[in-house]
Amino acid sequence: MIYGGPSDETAPNVKRWQVGKPLPRIDAAGKAFGSTPYAGDHVMPGMLHMCIVRANIASAKLRFLDVAKARALEGVVEILTAEDLPIAEVAPGSPDRDGTERPNTGPPILAGERIRYFGEPIALIAAETRDIAERARQLVEFDLEPLAGVYDPLEAMKPGAPIVQGNDNIVAVRNIRKGDAANRLEDADYVVENTFWTPFQEHAFLEPEAGLAWTDENDVINIRVCTQDIAHFRAIADAIGVPHNKVRVRGALVGGGFGGKEDCTLEKFLAVMVRKTRCPVRLEYSREDSFVGHGKRHPLILRYKTGVGKDGKISGLDVEIVADSGAYLFLSPYVLLYAAVASSGPYRIDNLNVRARAVATNNMYTSAFRGYGSMQACAAYEQQMDEVARVLEMDPIEFRRLNYLQTGEPISTGFVPPSAIWTEQCVDRAWKAMGGPVNSTQEHIKIGRGIAAYQQSYGRLSFLGDTSEAWVGVELDGTVIVRSGVADIGAGQISALCQITAEILGVALEDVVIYSSDSAVTPLAGRTAATRTLYMTGNATKQAAEAIRARLVRRAAQEFGVAPDEIDLVEGKVLARAQPDNCMSIGALAEICETEGICRSELAMFHPQLQDFLDPETGQGQAHPDYVYGAHAAEVSVDTETGEVCVLRSIGVHDVGQCINRAAVEGQIEGGAQNGQGFALSEEMLYEEGRLVTPSLSEYLMPTSMDMPRVESIILESRSGIGPFGAKGIGEPAITPVAPAIANAIANAIGVRVFQMPITPERIVNALEERDKRRRTMTAR
Amino acid sequence: MFCDFDLHMPDRLDDALSVLTDEKGMPMAGGTNLLVDMRSRKETPASVIALGNVGELRGIHFNDERTTIGSRTTVSDLLQSTELVSSSPSLVEAAAVFAGQMVRNAATVGGNIACASPAADLVPPLLSLDAELMLVSASGSRTVPLADYYQGYKRNIRGKDELITQISWARLPENSVNMFYKLARRKGDAITIVGVAVTLSISNGICRKARIALGAVAPYVLRARESERRLEGQVISEELLCAAASQAARECCPIDDVRASATYRRHVVKALVGRLLSQSWNRLV
Ligand SMILES: Cc1cc2nc3c(=O)[nH]c(=O)nc-3n(C[C@H](O)[C@H](O)[C@H](O)COP(=O)(O)OP(=O)(O)OC[C@H]3O[C@@H](n4cnc5c(N)ncnc54)[C@H](O)[C@@H]3O)c2cc1C
Repeated sequence: MIYGGPSDETAPNVKRWQVGKPLPRIDAAGKAFGSTPYAGDHVMPGMLHMCIVRANIASAKLRFLDVAKARALEGVVEILTAEDLPIAEVAPGSPDRDGTERPNTGPPILAGERIRYFGEPIALIAAETRDIAERARQLVEFDLEPLAGVYDPLEAMKPGAPIVQGNDNIVAVRNIRKGDAANRLEDADYVVENTFWTPFQEHAFLEPEAGLAWTDENDVINIRVCTQDIAHFRAIADAIGVPHNKVRVRGALVGGGFGGKEDCTLEKFLAVMVRKTRCPVRLEYSREDSFVGHGKRHPLILRYKTGVGKDGKISGLDVEIVADSGAYLFLSPYVLLYAAVASSGPYRIDNLNVRARAVATNNMYTSAFRGYGSMQACAAYEQQMDEVARVLEMDPIEFRRLNYLQTGEPISTGFVPPSAIWTEQCVDRAWKAMGGPVNSTQEHIKIGRGIAAYQQSYGRLSFLGDTSEAWVGVELDGTVIVRSGVADIGAGQISALCQITAEILGVALEDVVIYSSDSAVTPLAGRTAATRTLYMTGNATKQAAEAIRARLVRRAAQEFGVAPDEIDLVEGKVLARAQPDNCMSIGALAEICETEGICRSELAMFHPQLQDFLDPETGQGQAHPDYVYGAHAAEVSVDTETGEVCVLRSIGVHDVGQCINRAAVEGQIEGGAQNGQGFALSEEMLYEEGRLVTPSLSEYLMPTSMDMPRVESIILESRSGIGPFGAKGIGEPAITPVAPAIANAIANAIGVRVFQMPITPERIVNALEERDKRRRTMTAR
Repeated sequence: MFCDFDLHMPDRLDDALSVLTDEKGMPMAGGTNLLVDMRSRKETPASVIALGNVGELRGIHFNDERTTIGSRTTVSDLLQSTELVSSSPSLVEAAAVFAGQMVRNAATVGGNIACASPAADLVPPLLSLDAELMLVSASGSRTVPLADYYQGYKRNIRGKDELITQISWARLPENSVNMFYKLARRKGDAITIVGVAVTLSISNGICRKARIALGAVAPYVLRARESERRLEGQVISEELLCAAASQAARECCPIDDVRASATYRRHVVKALVGRLLSQSWNRLV
């Protein structure tokens, strides 16, 4: 089937029946009208309510813990501490086939003696009501002896620093070496060196973690929970010491994930309690619980040293990255790898040296967050590109143009992405959309513009191996059922699968129903993360639908006495293209298949080829299956007296390969613009000795609708991706370039750069004052 | 979550006052502060007297001399009134940048004053307008200048049995400008870092009256009285306004918190007071 060639038109692709259209998502109405049940809406008769007792010092020894008084409270059913758990230490739910040695730094379900971060769980309470559980929490007595802690990754690497994990706190190391960066930097015309700081970030999904667990008639522990990964059922089973087939995770539509529900959140707490009490148990986090209950985005310190010739060509790049992994490892080695691989951006850099380390501290642990290390790297490399252009006295876009990676050229790891690299098209489209310059009418207001390009992987790390399954079946009335274990985390994942199926089988989107996110009855599809779901499960679904289509077409061709390639499936009908009167409903055709034993369903598995590990010394090899390219442009106004920033324009341009649902793609770009703007300007998790002092949405400031400009989305379609119909992905890419675009716009407006995000009004005022001070001392001399 | 409490929902002011007697009773207007504080157990009232049904406390009235509003008037109500835009522009400006739409629909003027937060956004405008409060209890009523109401951080002169029933202020003199600016870390639903309201009345080039009220830079909303004194009776000049701005920055006593440092707040007070004063002056000449 030929679906047309590459196009950078923004008009929808009318040649298709379903794919590419901005259809209302299948999950939209229920969410808009409030009828969609989320995990927290599920209740059961006789269920118990849980709450968690957490440590209130970040680095401490638990000297004593006494739950007797709490247990004596009427209505309290069970209280569990580390001593009561069958298995104390549990490896994190992260993949372990990463080829590097690493210390066993998995978190226990409940802390025993050693407390490593503020909020670490030390006891679980189950009671007849939430109120009783809450009151019991006040009655738990414990004594923490403070131990020396370390809260800065640079401090944590120094000899003599308090040890949080391993022998030296360094929990992961990733290097990339290619060419001869040291010598190229030595003989470069210019060397530009800068250090960039990126902050913690909280996912702040609308739906805090919630779950319900019970034991069913097969003695299987069922857990209904909001999660990005139902495959945690295995880790949960291991944690409580039961066979894998005795735990079933049933997801629900998720009210936002962003990586924050990629690790186990409250599943293990529910599992140990349901196993002990044999009663249904429910646990729901408050917003405050959620702030301390899941890992954050890794703060990174990125030192960039770029060598560049007078001709504007980058000759060498040296990058040093330090990531704060917090108290436990979780996904740090992978996030770090993403940052290292991404650190040279969408540029051709033949001489590259990257040294990246993740360091344990007594801060909140850090793990997955949309963009996954690549986004932090982009925040640095795109600011650095502007700084280098400034030294060269070149236009930032023209400087980039001299260095863009082109289609068919190798990235930092030496791997050649199989798809098109349209960075240049995206940057140019974004800048064109910006239009002519705008000037401020007030003296204290400066207006500036910035651009940032990016490279973001889609699909899981190639050496970890990845599979995804989907089942598609046609009913006797021509309607269609899809089954796949994907978790829909709000980005339209399941709707896209239905749209793909509808396209292949020639039915309307309304004719497709999907069952998803059940580890026991839907074929496993892997986690909704790494911008992999459309690529992986989209391909699996398409394969399954195509297999059925082939059988239907063959049978119809026989019926109509034509060749199979003359058959079309359109609008619920099957017909011979040349003789449109020769036509029957897909239901009637399915009926024939049913009678004759032609299978109307198909289970398909998609799996990219497993790759070798990256070279441990040089980091060369294939890290990911492919990459997305694009750009974001921003226009800001800055009040030079108060440092206030207002984002006036926000334009995302992405080559998504192929839109499946244009409206959903725009939704991702708009959400990414908001998410990235918060990261750049206002979202701040302040920790004092590991204790979060901004634990609510009135202190942790995400941009509201009043802070957002209208986001402009420009969608390019190279149709070169390795997802279904040439699709790439957009979930993570949408956020990746936003923050540096805003940072570059601010620097453009005021002529100085704030190297630390978030770029708060206060930091801007300080940077301006320092510049004025420098100027004064220069004139004094 | 919440402590146990008795809920009263009187229809009339008298009934409200008759139950507002003991130490542990608290009035609730919009609840946008009180419910948040009860949820975090900062407040644990034994009884809550919800004022939502007391219609006589809500409304905006004008006569030739004064503007009077009921304490249960919501922030959204302020934005509906066209007359208020001309009589008390700073109050309308503050209402427009107050919280977000949902909170504005519930939050009241009386609640904003009574919560005594240094960052309460309606208070600097009301101070710049020389507003007075009417405090009523079962045994009587009294009128006090808003400027005398606050005693310290979240402390005020209201008796436990008193309700704020109305707020009123005189019309601005001729040739006056009254304005407000809120500086915060974002535009919607943000706690103020610095709020500034000014009133400037000028005739024949001489400042007849100056009011400068500063939010979030002291234990309670502050009037920069020294700065005002520097202006009143003087011939207005750019230098004078600048000196007044510097003086205002000296008069405030901000703290460091998660939103901003004291140094930054002081810097912003100077910048914003200077800016608002010179914008006012520009409008009058
Ligand atoms: C999301 C959010 C955003 C916010 N943004 C802002 C903002 O931008 N600016 C701002 O200033 N505030 C803001 N607030 C705080 C709050 O909304 C305001 O202070 C509001 O004006 C309080 O009014 P209320 O009617 O809700 O008071 P309530 O919560 O009902 O009461 C507050 C206090 O006043 C007392 N009280 C109420 N009415 C009376 C009365 N008539 N007499 C005596 N005592 C009384 C109560 O007992 C209580 O102690 C915000 C709050 C939230 C939740």
